[in-house]
Amino acid sequence: MLGMLGVQTGFGEPLHHGWPAPIESDVDHTNIASRIIHSPLIGANIVSAIRLVIGFSISIAIGAILGTAMWRFESFDDFLRPLCLGLQTLPSVCWVPLAVLVFGLNETGILFVLVMGSAFGIAISMRDGLRTIPPLYRRVGLMLGARGWRLYRYVLFPAGLPALASSLRQGFSFAWRSLMGAELVLIAVDYHGLGFLLAKGEDNTDIAQVVAVMIIMVVIGMLADRLAFAPLERRVHTRFGLSPSA
Amino acid sequence: MIAPRGAGNLTLLNVSKRFNGSNMAAIENITLDCKPGEFVVVVGPSGSGKSTMLNIAAGMTRPDSGEAFVDGRPITAPGPDRAMVFQDHGLFPWLTSAENVEFGMKMAGVSAPERKERVEHALRMVHLSESAKKLVHELSGGMRQRIAIARALVMDPAVLLMDEPFASLDAQTRTQLHHRLQDLWCQTHKTILFVTHSVGEAVRLADRIVVLHSHPGRIRKEICVDLPHPRKFDSSDINELARLVRKEIEDEVKRINGVENQGPWRPEEDADMAAFADDVGGGI
Repeated sequence: MLGMLGVQTGFGEPLHHGWPAPIESDVDHTNIASRIIHSPLIGANIVSAIRLVIGFSISIAIGAILGTAMWRFESFDDFLRPLCLGLQTLPSVCWVPLAVLVFGLNETGILFVLVMGSAFGIAISMRDGLRTIPPLYRRVGLMLGARGWRLYRYVLFPAGLPALASSLRQGFSFAWRSLMGAELVLIAVDYHGLGFLLAKGEDNTDIAQVVAVMIIMVVIGMLADRLAFAPLERRVHTRFGLSPSA
Repeated sequence: MIAPRGAGNLTLLNVSKRFNGSNMAAIENITLDCKPGEFVVVVGPSGSGKSTMLNIAAGMTRPDSGEAFVDGRPITAPGPDRAMVFQDHGLFPWLTSAENVEFGMKMAGVSAPERKERVEHALRMVHLSESAKKLVHELSGGMRQRIAIARALVMDPAVLLMDEPFASLDAQTRTQLHHRLQDLWCQTHKTILFVTHSVGEAVRLADRIVVLHSHPGRIRKEICVDLPHPRKFDSSDINELARLVRKEIEDEVKRINGVENQGPWRPEEDADMAAFADDVGGGI
């Protein structure tokens, strides 16, 4: 099916003869349907999605904890912020060798790359967002009797929601890119995600498959942003009266 | 349940506060006793430590020396018995008006049915029952301050502290809120300590006006206002009193300017304004 996408839109002839023939245009519909169902693409998407959900959740947890700690404790901030900013400049594939050496060629290694590629970015934007909470809210909370953990639960964390929503949106694109990179390089694992299909396309010198998988990666990234993270951010911002539409 | 409040006797005793890096005290040796049910307004130029005084009463700032008491108990931390209304309302934008008013009672563990009843009552007192479900950014500036007042009053505080609550509102809304606050005070007879730089505001509302010095902040004069409540804001008594208090503060500002301009160059008093006044209409 992937080959079909490229070849039929005129992406050129296959480069060598080991390549399966282009799909005839008079192919019947049941055949296409069954090809879609049995295509490795479905499985790859599911594998990538599961990895993303698990890895991104871990990233959010780590990012939120680090970000909150940096916001709350000055000494933590002095130490961790430059570190986070530095690690953020490291392209996520650069974590792969370390992942392989520490965890081996397995799922943990892939998750490690994903988390390292996104958690620091989330932490930084979380910290920056929390710092924009007006100090007045804290005073009001104390004045109204919100003390200790209640001040966090009922005042400071709700006040930080816009920061959290924005950092999730940004963090997702980090996470998605890191995952694709990890899957592309770490191909000798039990389950095959989207990145694996991209690597496979390269092995087969199949431009059509390579481009098609790239397009799918872009589309999924955009859909997730448009359907989940952008609306979430917009909803929070509207509630807070922060967006121009409010 | 919220513990029953005392009568509302707020006392500052020889309170001084100096901020880090400043060689001049923000306030120095201030003693002020607000009797239960008294409406005290503190006026003074900026930098006279008005807000510092209020923050000490609220328990947000600890004084360097001296002590603050409410109904005989020393003030050590902020609490709902000394509810404060801020200039920038400080309403929580993620909550509706009603939820904002409810917040303090929720923290105090008041039961849900009682909370609901008291929120409704408080919203009626500030005439905002219809806006209960609105979010903060959907309210006008004046409505926000009324919600902030309701949020403070619903806690049934011993003392109500108000930090320039109407300073960022337009004149018309401000006058409306002066009437509203005067009504509320007549109904509840809370002790109110109100800070402002507006003399007009002070003479409209106060039983007693406290005029502050600046650099360092000290009490310069106390003026009792014997006019009965509710007051007519455009009466000649009020205007006369406002002139008196204004003069008091102008003297104070002049004194400060005098201290700051001790060099050889000293501008004529209001020279520009005088020249301008002479020119007005001259060309007609």
